[in-house]
Amino acid sequence: MDSPEQKITKTVSREDASKESMANSRHVIGIHFCGPTPLVWRADELKSARELGIIGTLVGSLARQPRQNTRLGRPLELLPEEGRLLADMGRAAVIPDSTNEDPEVNPEQVEQYHAGLENSFQEQGAMVLADRKTTLLRVMTEKHNEDSGSQEDSDGAVRDRLEALEHGFSFPRTAMAVQLCTARAGLSHCPEVRRFLAADWPTPRDERSETRFRVFRDLRRQGFYLTSAGKFGGDYLVYPGDPLRFHAYFIVVCISMDESMPLCDVLAIARLGSNVKKTVLLCSSGESQEDDREEVVYTSLQWSGMV
Amino acid sequence: MSELTKKTDEDVIEKPLPPNWILQHPMYQHLMNLDVGDSAQVHAAFLVYLDLAEVRQWKEVSGVGCSELRLVLLEGREKEGEPTQTVLPLPVHRGLCHRSVRSVLAIGSPMLLCVVASDSSLVYQRMCDGLLTPDPPVGIQDQGRRQHRKRRQQH
Repeated sequence: MDSPEQKITKTVSREDASKESMANSRHVIGIHFCGPTPLVWRADELKSARELGIIGTLVGSLARQPRQNTRLGRPLELLPEEGRLLADMGRAAVIPDSTNEDPEVNPEQVEQYHAGLENSFQEQGAMVLADRKTTLLRVMTEKHNEDSGSQEDSDGAVRDRLEALEHGFSFPRTAMAVQLCTARAGLSHCPEVRRFLAADWPTPRDERSETRFRVFRDLRRQGFYLTSAGKFGGDYLVYPGDPLRFHAYFIVVCISMDESMPLCDVLAIARLGSNVKKTVLLCSSGESQEDDREEVVYTSLQWSGMV
Repeated sequence: MSELTKKTDEDVIEKPLPPNWILQHPMYQHLMNLDVGDSAQVHAAFLVYLDLAEVRQWKEVSGVGCSELRLVLLEGREKEGEPTQTVLPLPVHRGLCHRSVRSVLAIGSPMLLCVVASDSSLVYQRMCDGLLTPDPPVGIQDQGRRQHRKRRQQH
């Protein structure tokens, strides 16, 4: 009893799976921008990103646990540096915002989708009605067992009630459950299109972003894992391995070589580092040379100050 | 006889320091004569000198001028026979740039930043080049099931 909609889903999944297995080792991660923020939606892409050392942070609410933020779901929000590094590695593609595109949608697909929705609606209505009938029967049987009426009377009463239920029953549209297939609609591009889109990364080029990116890239190159360090007042937290398995070693503060830091701030963050047993790293991009590979210089504020 | 006694007593009691004793201190004058830092920075350097030499009993503490940074630095050994360390004294209201820090680190000896507050209190901060792995936190144990049981009770 497959509905047309279900059939389509299955076919597309099979196609996607075969294409993905072909391009497995060079799987390009699709990035959707929400304003300036890069987001990753697909579960397999989150996994790919993590395998590349890009951790990001989950920011989506969970449908069944909306009123908490201990456990969050997709999308994965990337730091600008994470997105840019993925793009530089050729592993990311910016998926254009489909709402801006020319709405030349396939009318046949639209028709099929609506037909599928209608089928789902009818099915769900039937299921709810059946459910209510069962409940009614159970309640009335219990009631009958308590009272001591005759068998025929109670049967007749049950039949009447069931008929009344069927006549009076209506399943409102608003109560219908609708499945959103994130793996399908608008969020997948075939690998060829993604490789084409990979060249197109929006980059703000102010000094601070540039410094942050160079530090990120250099530490990533050394094999560290980095996440954002909002709780500690720095730019990044640096882990020697996956953040799920290790404590952070460093709190990174990105500054330019000539930027003047207030001494109070230096002491404050050094003190914080000392309290949480992490070394504070002052990081700057070195003097510019011909190629892009400036050296990044690191100064450690030792977590134990002088006794 | 009483006058003689009085005179002896006066000899035993130390003369009170004049209010501007710092300005007359030979080390302070030496630091000023380096003609490098501004008076606030020299004053800070002097206070750090007193702390190192007289409180912490460092050996061979001396003032050195760094013309590149226009600052006075201090050098000394924490104990006899230990390598020389460099101390960068700064008054708290100043800013610090990474380039200056790198210049001092380039000297090669272990470096301490010392920040001097307006009430003359001092805070030392050790700095070094590169990525210094911190000591691990103490008391890490696998809690096993206990941690999950605790969490469930909380909800």
